[in-house]
Amino acid sequence: MPMNKNRSGMSRALVRRETTAGYLFLLPSLVFFLTFVVYPMVMCIITSFFDSNMGKNTQDVFIGFGNYIELFQDPIFRGALKNTFVIVLVSVPVVMIFSLWVANCIYDMKPWLTSLFRVVFYLPVVTGSVAVTVVWKWMFNNYYGIFNYILKALGIISKPINWLGDPKYALGCIILILLTTSVGQPIVLYVSALGNVDQSLVEAAEVDGANHRQVFWKIKWAQIMPTTLYILIITMINSFQCFALIQLLTSGGPLHSTDTIMYYIYYTALKMSRYGYGNAMGVILMIIIAVLSGIQFKLGQSDS
Amino acid sequence: MKKFLAIILALCMVASLGVFASAEPAKEITLWTYPIGKWVDAETMDALMADFEAATGIKVTVEYLDYTSGDDQVNTALEGNAAPDLIMEGPERLVMKWGVGGYMADLSDLYEIPEAAGVYDSLKKACQYEGTYYEVPLCMVAHNMAINYDVFEAADALQYIDLENRTWTTENFIKAVDAVYAYTGMPVATVYCGGQGGDQGTRALVNNLYNGTYTNPEHTEYTANSPENVKALELLQSWDAITFDPGIVAGDEIQLFRQGMLNISWCWNASQQTNADNGEPGFTNDGSRILMMNFPSEDGKAELCGGIWGFGVFDNGNPDKVEAAKEFIKYFCYDADEVVKAVRASSFFPVRADVQGVFEGTATEDIMNEYSAIFLPNLGDYYNVIPGWAGQRTEWWNMLQRIGAGGDVQAETNAFVEAANALAAG
Repeated sequence: MPMNKNRSGMSRALVRRETTAGYLFLLPSLVFFLTFVVYPMVMCIITSFFDSNMGKNTQDVFIGFGNYIELFQDPIFRGALKNTFVIVLVSVPVVMIFSLWVANCIYDMKPWLTSLFRVVFYLPVVTGSVAVTVVWKWMFNNYYGIFNYILKALGIISKPINWLGDPKYALGCIILILLTTSVGQPIVLYVSALGNVDQSLVEAAEVDGANHRQVFWKIKWAQIMPTTLYILIITMINSFQCFALIQLLTSGGPLHSTDTIMYYIYYTALKMSRYGYGNAMGVILMIIIAVLSGIQFKLGQSDS
Repeated sequence: MKKFLAIILALCMVASLGVFASAEPAKEITLWTYPIGKWVDAETMDALMADFEAATGIKVTVEYLDYTSGDDQVNTALEGNAAPDLIMEGPERLVMKWGVGGYMADLSDLYEIPEAAGVYDSLKKACQYEGTYYEVPLCMVAHNMAINYDVFEAADALQYIDLENRTWTTENFIKAVDAVYAYTGMPVATVYCGGQGGDQGTRALVNNLYNGTYTNPEHTEYTANSPENVKALELLQSWDAITFDPGIVAGDEIQLFRQGMLNISWCWNASQQTNADNGEPGFTNDGSRILMMNFPSEDGKAELCGGIWGFGVFDNGNPDKVEAAKEFIKYFCYDADEVVKAVRASSFFPVRADVQGVFEGTATEDIMNEYSAIFLPNLGDYYNVIPGWAGQRTEWWNMLQRIGAGGDVQAETNAFVEAANALAAG
């Protein structure tokens, strides 16, 4: 009797067995994904339509879009939204440009030197947030911080600047710290991507008379575009989700000048126990990130 | 044969799980504690818990919280049905937050024990809500302030202080601070308002200066916008010798005081005075003497903010665990010998008049006796039990930040009271 075979020559039974095995291998990740990503996301969306508060004996009350309406009337949320966009608009381009520049400078150095630079730039990424913020807090300190010490020694300032206590400077300080913790991964990725650029194309372009700038923009840039897209999206998401630095350094102050959506979600949900309101903010943040990521993917695809 | 062996092996593994499950001690409870003296010191805690286990057969697993993220951890655990059996903190959390929220077990029966009669009435009142007790207090303190004695002496500012009673009038306080400011040329103190804990220091300062209050006597409404409080905040706002600093929190202020960069700390208590982490207790890092002080007031009589710490029991639906947790409370709060050890570990004072000699023979005995004689009698109204306490703290910090940035004091205190009263009303 002839065996049922598909086009690749495998029997149906074998295909079924391999498919089953494949799904079984996927199952642990799938369970994890459904439990810790999909389920909380769905619950977040559902809860955002309720006046949901902490309390064993309290009942969640359905209020439709009440939380969303309140959100856009809340000046603190609007301020947090503005601060979040400022962080994203400043940090994403700076991280992209700086990491590309550094990677381009170091990727063709001697291997040990490239590794040294990679380690130096990657250190703040693998160092715990608490340790990083403690050091930065010390440097920014109003009374004995090194920044005030240097600026005073150079005669640039006469009185110490309260870096983290002055609304004029606080957000800038947060962005500066964020930059130092954000450039490590893009640099490592760019070094790797630049190292994988097809050298025959580079050589061919050089033989045809292309200068360094033309080689970079016409040959290398096109080949590292997928890495650029990935870095762009990851950096943007990380910037939108800036939280630990703010919680550890300023608690959103002074005068709400460093409130971000993520911090305000934390404050509303965990400090004020207003879960529904906090989740509504989470949904808004999710929509913003999804839309911007979608646009970036679309632009990346059309470029490639 | 292989299949048979595999099945046997699997059965053995499953059976062993059962054996381990049944080997679990009949009584095992968890305790989460905030940083209350040495109740977060692993060595001290191990010894206390080992004694308790030996006496009762109940094993206690301890987890240490901090004031930055402790509330978040507890709230998350409550929402995830993973709350501890016991928790150690004050009535503002145990009673007014989690007790009123319906998460705590009723501890009224623990107040029927004869030893409970010795607990000060004002503390008993703070540990209940509408007649139900959610906390049994272990220790207490009256928060005070501290000055750098040597700097004040060098600035000839000690003349404005009643050194025997550690008091000063507001008028003399202004003269003393101005003298130190003239001597050092640096801000003498700062009203820290970066958030987190230690708000009792700033509240006590503002309320005492012109004899204001924080809430009404019934603890139902906030009164921070009263003329007395407004006058105090206007004084602080207009004073070059005292700054407002939203860049630091209470812990930073204490550190700056210990480092000699500030000459007054508003956030002091017995535990700070006996702290020997950076040197001899009662001295700054550079060896200057630290003098504990009452807050200044118009008549020189201060009303200090109280701190009460004790145990509450989360009702996790397991009566055995609740009973075991109550055993723990009886052991540490009511046993004649153990309460002494437990209070000593807290670095604070007993909540019962009949518990004596807690610090007898210890290195800190003199400091604690002095504290007990001079500061504890000035313990003021424990108003922390007003509803909406956790939320109003943020409003308080925000108000101080706005005033520090030059905001109109009356308008800002009105805004604080409006927001805080809204929280109190639920």
